Amino acid sequence: MASNHTTEEQRPVRHKVEGPKKHIVAFIFSILLTLIAFAAVAGGEINTDFIYIILIGCAILQVFVQMAFWMHMKDRGHTFAIIGILFGVFVVFTCVIMAEYWAWW
Amino acid sequence: MAHGHAVKRYSGLMDWLTTVDHKKIGILYLIAGGFFFLVGGLEALLIRIQLWKPLNDFVSADTYNELLTMHGTTMIFLAAMPVIFALMNAIVPLQIGARDVAYPFVNAIGFWTFFFGAVLLNVSWFTGAAPDGGWTAYAPLSGTTFNGDHGFDYYVLGLQIAGIGTLVGGINFLVTIINMRAPGMTFMRMPMFTWSVFITSALILFAFPALTVGLAALMFDRIFDANFFDPSGGGNAVLWEHIFWIFGHPEVYILILPAFGVISEVVSTFSRKRLFGYSSMVFATILIGFLGFMVWAHHMFTTGLGPVANGLFSIATMLIAVPTGIKIFNWLFTLWGGSITFNAANLFAVGFIPTFVMGGVTGVMLAAAPADFQYHDSYFVVAHFHYVIVGGLVLGLFAGLHYWWPKMFGRMLNEGLAKLTFWTFFIGFHLTFFVQHFLGLMGMPRRIWTYLDGLGFNQLNLISTIGAMLMGLGTIFFLLNVVITAFKPKNAANDPWEDGRTLEWTIPSPAPEYNFKQTPLVRGYDAYWKEKMEGHKEMTPAEPIGSIHMPSPSILPLFMAIGLFITGLGLMYSHGEWGKIAGIEAGFVVGGIGLIITFTCMIIRSLIDDHGFHIEPEELQDKGVKA
Repeated sequence: MASNHTTEEQRPVRHKVEGPKKHIVAFIFSILLTLIAFAAVAGGEINTDFIYIILIGCAILQVFVQMAFWMHMKDRGHTFAIIGILFGVFVVFTCVIMAEYWAWW
Repeated sequence: MAHGHAVKRYSGLMDWLTTVDHKKIGILYLIAGGFFFLVGGLEALLIRIQLWKPLNDFVSADTYNELLTMHGTTMIFLAAMPVIFALMNAIVPLQIGARDVAYPFVNAIGFWTFFFGAVLLNVSWFTGAAPDGGWTAYAPLSGTTFNGDHGFDYYVLGLQIAGIGTLVGGINFLVTIINMRAPGMTFMRMPMFTWSVFITSALILFAFPALTVGLAALMFDRIFDANFFDPSGGGNAVLWEHIFWIFGHPEVYILILPAFGVISEVVSTFSRKRLFGYSSMVFATILIGFLGFMVWAHHMFTTGLGPVANGLFSIATMLIAVPTGIKIFNWLFTLWGGSITFNAANLFAVGFIPTFVMGGVTGVMLAAAPADFQYHDSYFVVAHFHYVIVGGLVLGLFAGLHYWWPKMFGRMLNEGLAKLTFWTFFIGFHLTFFVQHFLGLMGMPRRIWTYLDGLGFNQLNLISTIGAMLMGLGTIFFLLNVVITAFKPKNAANDPWEDGRTLEWTIPSPAPEYNFKQTPLVRGYDAYWKEKMEGHKEMTPAEPIGSIHMPSPSILPLFMAIGLFITGLGLMYSHGEWGKIAGIEAGFVVGGIGLIITFTCMIIRSLIDDHGFHIEPEELQDKGVKA
């Protein structure tokens, strides 16, 4: 068997095999967050300032859900992924802050 | 061990449409990229014919703008990127001792989405509205106000679809290089080309999302009447420039780093010496990749960012000259004292070094913000970026193609014709672009349709046009070489250059479907060379001969890409051009059908488990892949 084509069979098991339950919960939760954000804007009933707070709150929760469950940040052994994500965050922050600063102020 | 059930093996055309083999996908990338290289080259020749004399009327101003835009877009996205991906696919898994890439199916998706995105972009020629606002698509020029026809719809949607291909390709190679190296191949033992592909893939991962976001926003502006880049609606036109160059500057390093990798391999092989300063090369590559994200605003010095920002970006840009200089000196020191063979591959590599230095030096000149106000939008800039992209990347790709051709196809390219290719292309290149520096300094603006007599531009433009013809001739010699070689017997040896240093030269040319009969054990940098120096004929295997697990072919990637193509085409014509079906814009209906095709394929892929198949030990023969 090719050493570089097998995954589960040969490697030592790092973490317990878990069912899709957590992922389904996370998926429903992230859909829910999206719906809340849409409803807040589309409803037209809520004060604009409060909508901002709702949107930002939903966004932070959403990032957390995505990172923890879908990007496997909660698992161990993801050093490369974490380095990658941190570098991505660094690039995004540099670019967004600089571009916003020049474009609008 | 998983059960090995029979899998349908295709042959002929179906084999190519369903293949998930990285070597065949590499060849597909090469064919498609080569085709678009010819298209982009033809556009370049038409541009040069238009400019060969003052007040020429060979093409109309509108057509000229279309040619110019499509030349840039085609060459960057549809020619350079796929040929890079061709070499990545063909070579990287072999260099790291892997049997395939990490996600063979995704690899196929990457190719087909690129291909159909490219076709969609070029369909614009036949619908009478090619994009005509420059490859940078600056807003508001690319908005509906100034571009009411469908030109930029093709640009936005074509590039968006092709961009999916590039992005998944980059991710695929990141995972492959991290996870699938042969036993003993540590990061600091990886061949330089693999290192450069690794960094390139990381750049793709971080840079392409910016393009995706920019294109999506522009698409909303154009198709759904949003106002991201329309100042009259509260948008901001400069924002597009930022987004585009946040992607665009890393993109030029995405283009050049693989060429650096190729040159490192070729120079070291044909000098019969270990690459000088390997670890500093790795460090320099990483540093270039990192700094590449911090310099985008040097494309925008004249937008009025202010002296502090201009100064910072000036310095950051000049900093990149340091790691690049490290690389240049390392190549020179590799050549120094080596027993050098000047065959075609090495000629391209050695020709690359001074040419790229010239492009780099004009780069530092352009990085000086005060001077840039003078150079900006002149032919000086055109000369600069052609020196780094043609003189750098294209010479690098030619070097790589001549070097790895036997490994990809099992046949050696004709050396005489290859040298002819080099000399015509190389002389033609310098003839075309060297004079453009002076045209720029004399004040000829870029992207102009024609120029007046008596400005002193005439002779230099004529020289430039003659040079372009020579480059065309060089390309024809290369094509001729490819055709002639295709009729020769497939008899290249495992290590046809006899000085191969890396793992790809330990296996037959072309590589068999499963690459390595036994995964090799890597005992140092330049793994194969090390074994040779210790008197061994081949690598020590790291495993006994056993059955090999292979991914099964699939037609789904092709249909996913076709679905996206249909969606793109439909969305563009959703403003009443095609009438209505049951009260809904026909364009949206067509777009919906396309999405249904793509999502159906995705569902099929998700729900039907595909375990692949096994090649049993008795089937293992050292026969090459058919090409």
